[in-house]
Amino acid sequence: MKRQIQFTLNGARVSREVPNHRLLLDLLRDEIGATGTKEGCGTGDCGACTVLLNGKPVNSCLVLSGELDGVDIVTIEGLKIGPELHPIQKAFIQDGGAQCGYCTPGMLMMSKALLDQNQNPSEEDIRYALSGNLCRCTGYAKIIQAVQDAAAEIRAKRA
Amino acid sequence: MSDLTVVGKPVTRVDANEKVTGQIVYGYDLTLPNMCYGKTLFSTKAHARIKKIHTEKAKQLPGVIAVVTGEDLAWTHGESIKDKPFLAQGKVRYIGEPVAAVAAEDEDTAQAAVRLIEVEYEDLPVYTDPEEACKPGAVAIHEDYPKYRKAEFIVPGGHLNIAEHFKLRTGDVAQGFKESDLVLEERYFVPMIQHAAMEPHSAHAQWDKESGRLTLWVANDAPFRALNEITEALNMPKEKIRFINPAQGGGFGSKGGLKVEPIAVALAFHTNGRPVRVKFNREETFISTLTRHEAVVYSKTGVKKDGTLMAREMTIYWGAGAYSEKSPTVCIRGSLPAPGPYRIPHVKVDGYAVYTNKPVAGSYRGYGIPQGAWAGEQQMDEIAKKLGMDPLAIRMKNIFVDGDMSYWGEQLHAVGLKETLLKATEAIDWGKPAPATKPGVRIGKGFACIQKPTRSPTTSNAGVTVDAQGEVTVFAGTVEIGQGCNTILSQVAAEELKVPMDKVHMHPLDTDVIPYDASTTSSRSTYHMGNAVRGAAIHAREQIMEAAKPMLEAEMKELSYADGKVFLKDQPQQALPIGEVVKRKLGINGVVRGDASYTYEIGKDLELETGHSDHASAFYMYATQAAEVLVDEESGRVRLLRMSAAHDVGKAINPLNCVAQIEGGVAMGIGSALHEEMIIDNTGKVRNPSFLDYHLVTSLDVPKMIPIIVECPEPEGPYGAKGLGEPGLAPTPAAIGNAVADALDVRVYDLPLKPENVFWALQNKKKKSAA
Repeated sequence: MKRQIQFTLNGARVSREVPNHRLLLDLLRDEIGATGTKEGCGTGDCGACTVLLNGKPVNSCLVLSGELDGVDIVTIEGLKIGPELHPIQKAFIQDGGAQCGYCTPGMLMMSKALLDQNQNPSEEDIRYALSGNLCRCTGYAKIIQAVQDAAAEIRAKRA
Repeated sequence: MSDLTVVGKPVTRVDANEKVTGQIVYGYDLTLPNMCYGKTLFSTKAHARIKKIHTEKAKQLPGVIAVVTGEDLAWTHGESIKDKPFLAQGKVRYIGEPVAAVAAEDEDTAQAAVRLIEVEYEDLPVYTDPEEACKPGAVAIHEDYPKYRKAEFIVPGGHLNIAEHFKLRTGDVAQGFKESDLVLEERYFVPMIQHAAMEPHSAHAQWDKESGRLTLWVANDAPFRALNEITEALNMPKEKIRFINPAQGGGFGSKGGLKVEPIAVALAFHTNGRPVRVKFNREETFISTLTRHEAVVYSKTGVKKDGTLMAREMTIYWGAGAYSEKSPTVCIRGSLPAPGPYRIPHVKVDGYAVYTNKPVAGSYRGYGIPQGAWAGEQQMDEIAKKLGMDPLAIRMKNIFVDGDMSYWGEQLHAVGLKETLLKATEAIDWGKPAPATKPGVRIGKGFACIQKPTRSPTTSNAGVTVDAQGEVTVFAGTVEIGQGCNTILSQVAAEELKVPMDKVHMHPLDTDVIPYDASTTSSRSTYHMGNAVRGAAIHAREQIMEAAKPMLEAEMKELSYADGKVFLKDQPQQALPIGEVVKRKLGINGVVRGDASYTYEIGKDLELETGHSDHASAFYMYATQAAEVLVDEESGRVRLLRMSAAHDVGKAINPLNCVAQIEGGVAMGIGSALHEEMIIDNTGKVRNPSFLDYHLVTSLDVPKMIPIIVECPEPEGPYGAKGLGEPGLAPTPAAIGNAVADALDVRVYDLPLKPENVFWALQNKKKKSAA
């Protein structure tokens, strides 16, 4: 069964006819060609495919396209603020938060979701927020540091 | 060395921007024009003869382009034993073995067609235990083993299920045990685990009938070796095969050799020139790509009362899984240093790589070192305890130092082990009593040392170009798998040409363009490719200086070089930027290219009867890690409080990257220590092929890590550098095991240190003390 849906993706209007069972992840990667969102497991266990759906982090491999009518989706391709990198992107570069980089888009989207809610997270808050996002390269130390540094920058900008 | 400008600095990664923006394209992201989609049928039997494969229904499904089985493909491949067919031929040897493949117009159709293929099997005995598999009477998993093409260093082990038998013989262990005051003997076990790189496996292939060329797009970290393996298997000339590397989302040893590639190649011959994409999902990656060797290690050690090591005898059964892959070389390079980084007069090691009916084992970050260390380093602590010695004191008495003759006949140099030992233990306050804890909870400390060789001899080639705009491009076959090589190699080129980092570019990896490199494995790249890039950059610089002589009307001895410019020594204001020199010499579109090749010249080859070699490795990596753990006696749950990791890197070309490698390695080691294991039942089926059931380390599992860089320079290495990629996880399980034993006064011999294993070790002790 196909369905006509309209949603916003990184601020742009998308209008498409999609099979109801098409996963958001596959819609993004295979049909729209936005491959910044990664597939690590396809079963909701690794967080590599994390995107923001109406501001909330979701595993896009667990979302059916049929549910997307009227929603707002932000992916890694939409994380920049205008031409500027988001503070969390800058911090990942500065601190070495990305190694192979495959988990990075999901990590960044989950970190953004955290920082949108809490600009002063404790180390424990960060560890809990990212506990569903697997990384095999970094041991998480530099990622946690990057989120802390990004939070500090966001706070400094507000002050 | 004091004039280094970029080398030694904590430069941020050159690939970071494209990674944080999602712009970078991985193998799994790749789409090719007009491509078709491949899917694979995997064996559901661990050991069975194939009586018949029925593909008619699949072929008739609309949208199906091709169906292939092993019957269509006579080819076999393998690193050192050519035992692996592209698709199963005649029999299957593990659950997950590719049996047939389909190419179709879309993925759903391909998958539907795979479901229509029926295979008739005739069951054979299944071997899931490497010790059982090589007992007399065990049925051969590879009846044709004697007929396989093999590398010259392969030593058959008598039983057909032994793919390789490594022997090390030094002194006389019987005599050594006789002269010992204490002899300990124990069995240790390390289970099969998986690399679990976050990017699953995939391959794209295209066969062009007109030109006879085969092109693969695949995130393979040893493209030249893969190219050679396909060349040999298909009997095609090398120049007819091309590998193009998209970005790679991790590897850890899983993405060298041929995994998905043979399936894509097999299909590509039947798609009328259209490219075909074959992706494995996570479950398929778990059961059908690669694993780390399970190992049964018997270790017997003799020691004098004062702690002097006298003799060590080890017998190691490496569970190779169904095909040999890199098992022979894991067996050799893992068994050789398994007795540990110690002076031991009498040593005997027998390593057996044993075929089983389990997923294939192969290279895994650490290449056999963690398994040996899990046994050897725990036994060192057991000995210390029995002798009433401090574990640190017994290490200090026996560890390798500069100039020592190793038990494999090589005189060692640049040994930074002692410094790692002292720094790692100091970082967790070794020797200071643990704080008081509440009843039922115990705190303990432990550490472990390792020494790791690198694959030798191997060759790296590199080219470095400078154009008329002064832009520098590096042509190097090292694959950026996340380890940071593009940054390190850029630093090396920037250093030798004295240009800013943003002037240096890494050329994408394409075997048509890039000169040969052995592989991105074995922690070899910084040393080998670092030397090659350095040589190529120097070669380019020399040509530019030569070209500048007439421009500056000077002799070479009057010229100097700094800051990306050639200048007159006594008139430094008379300076020509390198781009300007290229432009004047060759015009606005000119390019100067330097080239270099680096091979570590090995001395005597490994003697197959004794395991001796006077240069077993281009360099050695040394490390000590120390752990502090908290153990809940009721549940057996182990929690890490802190973990230090001191690594001798020779010279840290990029300290930030070194720390990143150490932290990542330690985290991976913690996973293998505390919870990772592939659970395989007695039918050979993997019971936990998902991230839900296979527990990778999460952000909640990692303790405070204390990475420590030790620099004991390797004279042959670039700027003194050694390697670092692998050792990060090698001593980790043994260090944690020793800490758990210290906390509980109970030794756990089987990894992982999951609550269940720790709990039963405690119960057994209670039972024993009650009896």
